[in-house]
Amino acid sequence: MPWIFRGLRNGVLTTGYPRRPDTDDVRSIARPAERATWEPGLDELCPTGAIREEHGRVRLDQGRCIGCGACVTARPGTFSWQEGNDVAQLSRAALVVPELAETDADLRQLRRALSRRTKALRRSVHIRHVDAGSDGAEEWEILALTNPVYDVHRLGIFFTASPRHADLLLVTGAGSHGMAAPLARTLEAMPRPVVVIAAGTDAVSGGLVSPSYATADGIGDLLPVDVWVPGSPPSPFRLLSAILLATGRLTAAGRER
Amino acid sequence: MTGALIGGLSLFGLALLGDLVLGVRHGWARPLPYLLGAAAAVALTVTGAAGLAGQPIRLNLDAFLGFGAADLAVDRLSALFLVISFGVAVPVSLACAAWAARPDRVRARGLGCAYALTCASVAIVITADHVFVFLFAWETLTLAFYLITAHRRGYTATPAIVTIALGKVSGAALLVGLLLLAAQSGSFSLPSFATLPHTGVRDTAYALLVLGFAVKVGLLPVHVWMPRGYRAAPGPLRAVMAGVAVNVGFYGLWRTLALLHQPPAWLAVVVLLLGGATALLGIAHATVQTDLAEVVAYSSVENAGLITVGYAVAMIGAATSIAPLVAIGLLAATLQTIAHALAKSLLFTATAGIEDATGTTELDHLRGIGHRLRCSGTGLAIGALTLAGLPLTAGFVSEWFLLEALMQQFRLGALGYTLPLAVTGALVALTAGFAAVAFVRIVGLTVLGPRGPHDAELTRDTGPLGKFGIGLLGAGCLAVAAVAPLQVRIIAAGLDSVVPGGVTSSALKAPWVVQPVFADFSSLSPSWLAVVLPALLAGAGLLCLLFARGRMFAVRRVPAWRSATGGVAGENQYTPFAFTNPTRKVLANVLLTRAELRTVERRSGGRDDDPRADAGGAHLGYTSDVVEAVERFLYRPMRRPLRIAVRTAKRLQNGRLDAYVGYLLIAFVAVLALVLVLT
Amino acid sequence: MSREEILGRMAAGARFAALAGDGDVTEGVRMHVVLARPDGIDVVDLQLPPGVDRYPALTPRIPAAFWYERKLHDLFGVVAQGHPRLDPLVLPHPDGNEPLPSPGAAFHPTHVEPDERALRSHVMGTGLFSLPHGPVRSGVFEAVEYVVETPGEDIPHVNVRPHFKHRGLEVRFEGMTPGRGVLLAERVEGIASVAHALAFCHAVEELAGAQVPLAAQLLRSLHAELERIANHLDVAMKLAEAAGLAVALARFGWHKERVLRLVSALCGNRFGRGVVVPGGVRALPLLGRDELKARVDTLRRDISGDAAALMQTASFLDRLRGTGPLDEDFTLQHGLLGPVGRAGGHEDDARWHRPYDAYPKLSRRPVTHRSDGDAMARLRVRWDEVTESFDLLAQIVELFGDHPDEVLSTRVEPVTGRAVGWAEAPQGEVLYLLEAGTDGRLRRCAPRSASFHNLAVFSSAFRGDILTDFPFVEASFGLSIAGVVM
Repeated sequence: MPWIFRGLRNGVLTTGYPRRPDTDDVRSIARPAERATWEPGLDELCPTGAIREEHGRVRLDQGRCIGCGACVTARPGTFSWQEGNDVAQLSRAALVVPELAETDADLRQLRRALSRRTKALRRSVHIRHVDAGSDGAEEWEILALTNPVYDVHRLGIFFTASPRHADLLLVTGAGSHGMAAPLARTLEAMPRPVVVIAAGTDAVSGGLVSPSYATADGIGDLLPVDVWVPGSPPSPFRLLSAILLATGRLTAAGRER
Repeated sequence: MTGALIGGLSLFGLALLGDLVLGVRHGWARPLPYLLGAAAAVALTVTGAAGLAGQPIRLNLDAFLGFGAADLAVDRLSALFLVISFGVAVPVSLACAAWAARPDRVRARGLGCAYALTCASVAIVITADHVFVFLFAWETLTLAFYLITAHRRGYTATPAIVTIALGKVSGAALLVGLLLLAAQSGSFSLPSFATLPHTGVRDTAYALLVLGFAVKVGLLPVHVWMPRGYRAAPGPLRAVMAGVAVNVGFYGLWRTLALLHQPPAWLAVVVLLLGGATALLGIAHATVQTDLAEVVAYSSVENAGLITVGYAVAMIGAATSIAPLVAIGLLAATLQTIAHALAKSLLFTATAGIEDATGTTELDHLRGIGHRLRCSGTGLAIGALTLAGLPLTAGFVSEWFLLEALMQQFRLGALGYTLPLAVTGALVALTAGFAAVAFVRIVGLTVLGPRGPHDAELTRDTGPLGKFGIGLLGAGCLAVAAVAPLQVRIIAAGLDSVVPGGVTSSALKAPWVVQPVFADFSSLSPSWLAVVLPALLAGAGLLCLLFARGRMFAVRRVPAWRSATGGVAGENQYTPFAFTNPTRKVLANVLLTRAELRTVERRSGGRDDDPRADAGGAHLGYTSDVVEAVERFLYRPMRRPLRIAVRTAKRLQNGRLDAYVGYLLIAFVAVLALVLVLT
Repeated sequence: MSREEILGRMAAGARFAALAGDGDVTEGVRMHVVLARPDGIDVVDLQLPPGVDRYPALTPRIPAAFWYERKLHDLFGVVAQGHPRLDPLVLPHPDGNEPLPSPGAAFHPTHVEPDERALRSHVMGTGLFSLPHGPVRSGVFEAVEYVVETPGEDIPHVNVRPHFKHRGLEVRFEGMTPGRGVLLAERVEGIASVAHALAFCHAVEELAGAQVPLAAQLLRSLHAELERIANHLDVAMKLAEAAGLAVALARFGWHKERVLRLVSALCGNRFGRGVVVPGGVRALPLLGRDELKARVDTLRRDISGDAAALMQTASFLDRLRGTGPLDEDFTLQHGLLGPVGRAGGHEDDARWHRPYDAYPKLSRRPVTHRSDGDAMARLRVRWDEVTESFDLLAQIVELFGDHPDEVLSTRVEPVTGRAVGWAEAPQGEVLYLLEAGTDGRLRRCAPRSASFHNLAVFSSAFRGDILTDFPFVEASFGLSIAGVVM
């Protein structure tokens, strides 16, 4: 009984996102400046080899970025922290920034295809999470989605115990060999259509963990991934944005439709 | 219609003779006693039906027996119990015939005799109107039970001995009780007891009669023979004992109430509380036993409790002269008797089919048996659902009436009645709850469950005759619920001698709606349920079909979800034993659960050097056992004194002729002295 | 040195803290036994001759070595003879000559898959069966399989199978510079990133003989204590969830979120990653001292209020009292760490017994000795620690005000040699056994988290408990599987 009054004590704590913009300014992914030109030695800065040269320009694979900040600290002019919640992409290639104009058309097509596939589960999504070798922090961030601040239940998003009831498979970790078979069993048990989200840099590319004798280089090697979310770990806002993207509830402008 | 009665009894006689003469050597002769018995059962059912319709049936025995006016008479009460007992005896006999026809099932003569003897004595007990005829048939029944339970060779003799010992206790109690009454009324005719005045002797006789019949129905604390006796009986013969013969116990109780009517108050309350306790103890054991036959046997104890509770409500009604209370109590009890007779026969017949096909009744080895033995499995499921009291089955109607009967306690002013009634109500409700657990296990794990690693090998399901028997009983379980108002009308006619038919008939609120006799309390229409529930189900299925537009059957099948595990070796799902372990813990006070966990240490170390294959496998040992409280605390302490008494008595029987002559002389002198003193 | 030496030191009061292998069977596996004294850490080496793959097991004399020897067998293929149950743990494989990871060896295989055929089941007796619980469990959990061996209701034994998320990190460390290695150390056990980074850096600094500036020491302790509060709140959430207290779950979830946001406001990362670097810390906090103080004070008020309410909720306490008991003798014998150990009477706390960073400059209240060893005692210990952490935070904020402009790190020269670093994570003591080559790169890095040490006794904690107690016992341990198998 005292808990009822305690629960009412602080009023509504829940964020307005995605209806109203909200973010927590986490500095966990780097981004090169739009027109930054390549200088030798930039690739040495990154512990995971995310920085590379393309046609004389600096390109950064956010799917490999672990947010250590080495590049931002060393070259504040060339690199900065990625802002905003919408870092998730529908293709692995689109995680390499700055974005190229030619990939936009492909992305639009991907988005339409995914949107058609997920039409039936737009307003009520059930998520099955699988840990395929995470460091444990990703689980905290996923669990945070159910706390009163993010409260994803208000958006019709639920976590289920059984994959039999799930529409969306949320995978964390680099894809350890030990989890390959259980991951396949889980995917097999899910009803179709199914959407797979690779949550976190480890899941996208293996991050700092790969190459290792015990893991794959990201879960893309193990099952077809629809949505890629970088970050080590990705913040709850970015995870939420990715889930909305996966179910076609995010317009190009980043607002819920 | 007297001819039908004679015909039935003669057919049983023929069956007995046939078994004795032909033996078991010829394949065609083995099922013969049971087929004759089935015909006899039909004849006796017809007799009963005629009796219920009011036809006078009376078979004079003066010519055979020399002790005065002795008849086999079928009044309405006898007729009701003839219908109940021999109605189920028909399919049971057919199943017995199917079982006996299989090679090597019956290995020695005598079983057919015992069967015929059992059925014939049931018929005679129900129709006897003379004390000695009654007692003679009762003793024959005890003997027949002994023969059945002792039939299986190589099986321990204890069940048969316990069965006959308690049968003797029952016979003794009835003998003394009936003789006390006869001494009061000056006649050996049963109807003459109806007019006896209320004295202490009559009350004592009342209690002795109830005790005698309680042994047969399996009431606490004289139920101990029942589970082991039933389990020891071979194949479908268990159904003969538990579904057919047990009804004579109930008949005896009903007859006692009809003749003596007003019981002493204490007796009514004691019977009520014992009934409640029996029900709980029975279902507690039924829930946790690991052997199918034993589960079903203990559910007989539970049902004995439930039926006795209804009977006790009627006794309280009689003691307080509230006729509607007598009516509701007896109506509930009779309905439960019918449901129990049908379901118990079905369960034991199905169990026999399963045992016949698999060679075992261990529940842990019988998972998913319904997928493999369709007929026996279905029978088991319907029987279990009936005894669990689910809607659409006969058990639902009877348990509804029973609980409604117990709820009438507010109509009694005295705390001495209302308090025991309330306590018993709670016990019966608890029993109903555990019955669900017990039979969910049977239906969910044994009939429908997934297969386990230790599954029994199969031969084949019971033959066509057995299937027909199971089908009849299963249909009976469902059909009597659908026509419950009709059933109420028949029972009302049958109970006419105890409580006027008009009172019982007020249980019918409308032609298809029943109520607990007292008007404006509550009502139920089982017939409407029988129509509307299947209709709803069909409607839902139709809607699914309609909206799925043909996709309903286009499904992708994947293995059951087991948290993505790669699997573990050995037993990896809930076993029937494990399913009931929570019950074992919750009811530890009733069941006296003893659980022991021990670690089996490995002797040698490092796994490469261990010579034993999969040495890591030997790690944990767990045993859990339950104890019969009554047996432990009532009978076990009696065992030593009893043994000493027997040893002493044996010394008298030393085989010397002169000693026996001496005993005769002493007895004669003693009787003479007694007569002299008394006169 | 020999095993007698180890036993002798333990008889003299040393505690078995870790056992790590090094090299491979061909060249002879070196076994480093880490012993903790009340005021320091020693390493004792046992060298197996080349080609020898077996040795007399330590476990019969030292029960705490039970899991370490199983892990040694999985990673190096050496057999502890006389071990009570040498079942696979982190990397199941059938015995044979296939290449094993062998951290510290010259060559490593590029691909080793766990082979589930090597796993065993231990059930026997009437009605006993195994209930596999995992690796994909109901809820958002890390991948681990608990094979509950049960006759229904009781839990006679739980078989822990954590190998699913083995990531091969010990091998991954090899060849890294200390600057890169600390990034990986943060990801060994993601929910205790700061503590792992600290233990790693302490080892590096020990090798380099570097002195960490005071401001950096304070910032390190600041983050370590915030991490502790977040972890203990997480345990409270899981316990509240197990008991079905929805409001309490939401309240503690909100507090935890605010702690993580505070950490992110201080350094940009919600887990304090990137803060600790060898030699000091990376940068000054992004948050002003006054705002930090205000936010910490609000948190303290809210958390202590809800914690007090929780500890008065009878329906909750009933589920904890006597659940998952580990008695004092057992706790001391196994040297259990962190709140699990302290709840059972093992007082050891690296912050105070082997102090590092700012802790020698901070003071603490007298601690309550607890030895009930049940889930309740563990939660009480956690609340005590949360209170203490807030005390420490207040002191740190005070002290930090005097040193805002100081240098934040000293240079760590390329180092060589072997050292052990430690830190007290929310789960308990973290150890890093570090060996650097002459090129200044890591040759061998063996982290040991408290999760590994404590999870080994998980299956002993179910005396008298039933299946519905399982989530309480699990949550009360508060461990991370990532840190168990790495």
